[in-house]
This record gives sequence, structure tokens and C-alpha cells, in this order.
Amino acid sequence: MAQQKDAIAGEGSTAASRRSFLKTAAAGAVALPYFVPAAALGKDGNTAPSERIVMAGIGIGNMGRNDQGAFLGRGDVQYVAVCDVKQGARENAMNKVNQKYGNTDCEAFNDFREIMARDDIDAIHCATPDHWHAIVVMEACRNGKDVYCQKPETRTLREGPLMVKTARRYGRVVSGGSQRVMGDYKRTVGPCWNGDKGIIKSINVNVGPLPKECNLEGQDVPAGFDWDLWLGPAPWAPYHPFRCSGSYSINGKSWRSFSDYSGGGMTDWGAHHFGGATFAIDVMDTDPEEVIFHNEDGKKFASVRYPDGKLIHHNHPGKGNLAVEGTDEKGPSKPVPVYAGTGGIYGDFIDCVKTRKKPFRDIERASHTMTVCHLFLVAYELERSLKWDPVKLEFPGDEEANRLVDRARRAPWVI
Amino acid sequence: MTSKAIGILTLAAGLAALGGVNVFAEEGGAGDPPALDKAFETLQTYDWGADRSLLNPIDEAIIATHGDAAARQALEAKLLAVVTGETTRAAKDFACRKLRTVGTADSVPALAALLPDEELSHMARFVLERMPGEEAAAAMRKTLPQVGRRFLWVFGKRRVTQSTLDGDLEIGVIGSLGARRDAKSIASLTVLLADEDAGVACAAAGSLGLIGTPAAAKALGDFAPTAIESLKPAVADACLVCAENLLADGHASDARALYELLKTEDQPKHIQVAATKGLLAVAARK
Repeated sequence: MAQQKDAIAGEGSTAASRRSFLKTAAAGAVALPYFVPAAALGKDGNTAPSERIVMAGIGIGNMGRNDQGAFLGRGDVQYVAVCDVKQGARENAMNKVNQKYGNTDCEAFNDFREIMARDDIDAIHCATPDHWHAIVVMEACRNGKDVYCQKPETRTLREGPLMVKTARRYGRVVSGGSQRVMGDYKRTVGPCWNGDKGIIKSINVNVGPLPKECNLEGQDVPAGFDWDLWLGPAPWAPYHPFRCSGSYSINGKSWRSFSDYSGGGMTDWGAHHFGGATFAIDVMDTDPEEVIFHNEDGKKFASVRYPDGKLIHHNHPGKGNLAVEGTDEKGPSKPVPVYAGTGGIYGDFIDCVKTRKKPFRDIERASHTMTVCHLFLVAYELERSLKWDPVKLEFPGDEEANRLVDRARRAPWVI
Repeated sequence: MTSKAIGILTLAAGLAALGGVNVFAEEGGAGDPPALDKAFETLQTYDWGADRSLLNPIDEAIIATHGDAAARQALEAKLLAVVTGETTRAAKDFACRKLRTVGTADSVPALAALLPDEELSHMARFVLERMPGEEAAAAMRKTLPQVGRRFLWVFGKRRVTQSTLDGDLEIGVIGSLGARRDAKSIASLTVLLADEDAGVACAAAGSLGLIGTPAAAKALGDFAPTAIESLKPAVADACLVCAENLLADGHASDARALYELLKTEDQPKHIQVAATKGLLAVAARK
């Protein structure tokens, strides 16, 4: 992989070439790209050349298996390790890799930190429950790994910007994991981007339910399940299969239902729908500055407002999902972005690992989408409107709302 | 009168004495007082597996009392009584979740008392980490080593007390103070950089990075060259985080000093590159 990266960067593979690059960049005061060419990145020049990107998976449940299958099926990926706190899941994932390659080389870990400690791993895909995403992504970046992280990429307002800073600090490629944003919303995005919808005013997203507190009774922890590590930064609670089930349902029988681990449907499906909405009305790369809570005849819904006046509604009565409001005249037109590489969002990530470009769902763009979801969650929890300062990461002058920007993590987990 | 009714009246009288509020107020009270009182009664014996919806009046009261200081004070007092009383872990957990929104300095002593509690320390921080005001920070800070003032130096050394917590509980407090960017913790965190528990030392470095003031930078910069091998990655990352915060806050020369410290051949390449990027960012600010 080092040789491949050197070739792409246009540099020789020697340390002298790396130093030359760095000296040139510094002397010329040329702004370094967000992603430092891989030739200049660490491995200390000792990694054996390889044409494949060496990958591992952390969290191999429902979506984790999908992601593993996608990466394992690529000829430009060498899959070497898996991690899951459930013994059965990690052994199945390991066996799948070994079967693919016809050997027993894949390693299986309970603790993701063992994956992070491996210098031979270039990239990881993460499909843990949401409350772990920020920790895993940031730790991967610190350890020189690129990351494909499932949506919802964040659980609180504070996490996204920290993940972005960490990725940029270490020049890592970090992609969020909503394959639907590019795939499912073409019929909404197209007319908005080609001007058929005029000057866009608003879009509506219908999604839910909101998360709830979990108070399921305790049961014995099954053998082979590291319950404490599954909980991780979340408050301690007794084990119950519904508390930690990776089922896609949000009906009180899966972790997606519960606020300690997820933002409910608001984030689980909101990561997709608001991703599509922000894409359609072209606010993907910015944040709202206000969330407006409405209570009309007992119907509670909310809207976020962007600096340019555009609105994204949540559950607006009478509006369909992704219903766009625009003006009658023809609006401006611009080309719709496409993925890099081949193979959808997975191929986009892998291509960006090679080219060091930002993926379509770059972590910063993912963070902007998730900010929309989390602003709505705070507004619904407090049932009132709020102003938002995305630079200071605070609700100006609102100490009560500011308490909900983040949450204390259970030790030893910090971000 | 039944024993249950006596119990309810006793509880109500006790809560009223705490909050100075007539819990049977029929007018001007927030929400539905009888439903709220019933919810608090339920909370006394609440446990995992119980019907969570019975506590909904408490959630509703939090929303309804926004802007009403007296009503909020009464609500806080009721929640505090659950935290300090002979209630279940689940009940205290619930109360802390609600105090996260409504807790004030009045709650700090009770929450501080939970910081050494293996089961409830995290939930105490669940409130304290995001609670505005110096009292919350001071309560957490008090558990860390206290560094004596200069005039109390003995034999050329500052007097330093021990942490009152250890292991994960200590790491949790360190993390919460870092998340608050509590500059008053710097002296204590500096002591903890040399803690024999590597987790504590790493957490201290991380929090100094988040605090990101010139004083934090000095602590990290002085320590970095002496860090043992196992701490080097965490300290380097903390220096980078600190430098970013310094630059964002207008302390370019302090940021540059930290970046220069890291741009040495003994650092891993990815740290050197990050430091070089940082130096370019410093240059771009001028």
C-alpha cells in the first residue's frame, strides 16, 4: 500500500522525497490540502508494498455484515481483522473472511483498541451502535487509519465537529455511511439542482420516532458477550436483549429505540432523509442557525432555518416526505455530484483512500446533516425554539439548552 | 386514614418543607400537581422493568416550568430528595437524568458526594459536566490532587494532596473537567501527568489539550520530552489539540511552540506531518 500511495502522490517512496515535499510545502506557504498525500503519512517507510488497502471491521452486526461484505468483495481491499463484543458475531465475521481468502489469517478481537494498535491496517469500517461512533472514529484517526463510519455518525451536537477536527488534524479520509443520500433521492435532488424547482424555499422530512429512555428489566448476560464494553460510554444499565438488539426496528426492541445509544428514528432514518434533504436544497456544507418549535392545535413539529433563509421542516402537517417548496421561475442549475470510483459509497470511500480526496459523505458533511437531527431532538426535548451558533457550538444565552449539547461519558471513555 | 395516605401526606409535607411549595396547589402550579406528586411517589420504588410512562409527569413538569424559577427550584428539590434518599439505583439514575436539565448549584453537594460511588459516579457527572457555574467544576476539581500555594512550599516543593478517587472514577472526572475546558484544573492535571496509572496520565494530557490555554500548553510542553513511551501518543495528540485551541483563541506563538516541539525526528511521521500542517496554519494567520 505504501508503494501505491507514493505513486498516486507523485513522489518517490523514499524518506528524502517525503522531506522534500514537506519542505516545499512549508517554504512556499502553500496551504496543505485537507488530506496530506499518503506518501508523507506515517508507517515510517517500513510497510511492505501492496496494491491493496488493508482493512478491518469494528462492529459486525446487521449493517456491519453488509459493510464487511461490500469491502471484502473488492479486489483492491485486503481484509485482515474483525472486532465485535459478541463472540458469535466476531467468529462469524472472521470465518467469512477466511472463507473468502481460503486461509485462517483473519484475526478476531473483542476490543477495538487492538485493531487500532495494528500498524498494518490502513482503514477500518465502523458499524457499532451510534454511541460509540465518535470514540472509534477519533481513535482510528489518531492511529493513522481512514474510516468508513455508518450513519448516524454522531450521537450529540459536540461530537461531529470533534470528529472533523481529528480527521483533519491527521489528514485522514473519513466517510459517513449513508448510501441512500446519493442513491434514494435522485428524483428530489435532480429537479432542485437543475432549476426546475425554482429558488428553493424549503423541504420537509417526515421521520421518527423520537428516542426514549430504556428501562427494561435486567437479565443474565449471555456467555461470550462483553456487556460492559458494549455499553462503553453509555450509562450503566442491566442487560436485556432488546436494549442491545441490532434489529432495524425502532419499536422498543432494539438499541436504535433508546436515547442512551441512538437518536431514534430522528437520527437512524434522519441521517438518510435529512442527508437527502440537505443535498436537495444544497445546504449540505453548512449548518442551520435556528430551530423553530411549532405546536399548532396540538400538532408538534419543528423547522431549522439556514442563514440564507432556507428551511428544513420536520413532520410538517400536510407536507409529504421530501416535499420541496420553491418559486415558479426557473432557478439556477448546476451539475449534481457523483461518487468517485466504482461501487457506490463503498467505492467512493476506497477511491478517496487512494486519492486522498474528500468522499461524498465526508465527515464534515455528515456532521452538518447530523446537526440538523440533533437540533430537532433538543427542540423537541425542551419544546421550544432555539438559536444555534455552529462556531461556538452553543445555543446563545440558553444555558438550559446548552446542557444538551453533549453528555458525560462513562469512564474510561472520553472524547 | 390508610397508611398509604399517611405516607403520601408525609412525603408531600417533607417535599413542601424542602421546596417551600404547596404540592397540593390547585392554581398557578406547573402542570398537574397531583399527577406530579404521584409520579414522584412512584419514583421512590422505581426500578428497571417498571412502567416508565408513570414518570412522564416529571418530564412534562420540566418543560412546563421553563422560566419559572420557583417551580424549577421545587422540582429540583424533589429530584434531589430521590438522589439522596433511600431509593433504588434506577430511581437515582432517573433523577440525575432530569437534574441534567434542571439542576443548579443547590444540587452540587449531593452530586459531589456521589463522585466516589462506583455505581453512581458517572450519573453524578452526567449532571455536573454540563451544569453551568463554578460550583459544579469546583466539586469535581476537589477530587483531584490539590497543589499548595507558593507560600506553602516545603523544602522547595509544593505541597500536593492525593486524589480522592482512583482508576476509572478519576479518569471520568478528569474527562469531564476537560470537556468543560476548566482552566482552574490545570495545576491538578499537571500533577496527574506523572500518575503511575497510565489511563489517568493519558486522560490528564487529553484534558489539558482540550483546555488549550497557554498554561495548559506549558504543562504539556514541559512534560512531553519526559513522557514514557506508552504515554507519548496521547501526549502528542494532546499537544496537537492544545495547539489548535490556542490558535483558535489567538495564541499563535504558544501554538507554534507546541507544533515545533512535535516536528522532530523522534516523533512518528503522522505526528510530524500534523505538526507541519499546524505550523502552516499558524503562518496563515499572520
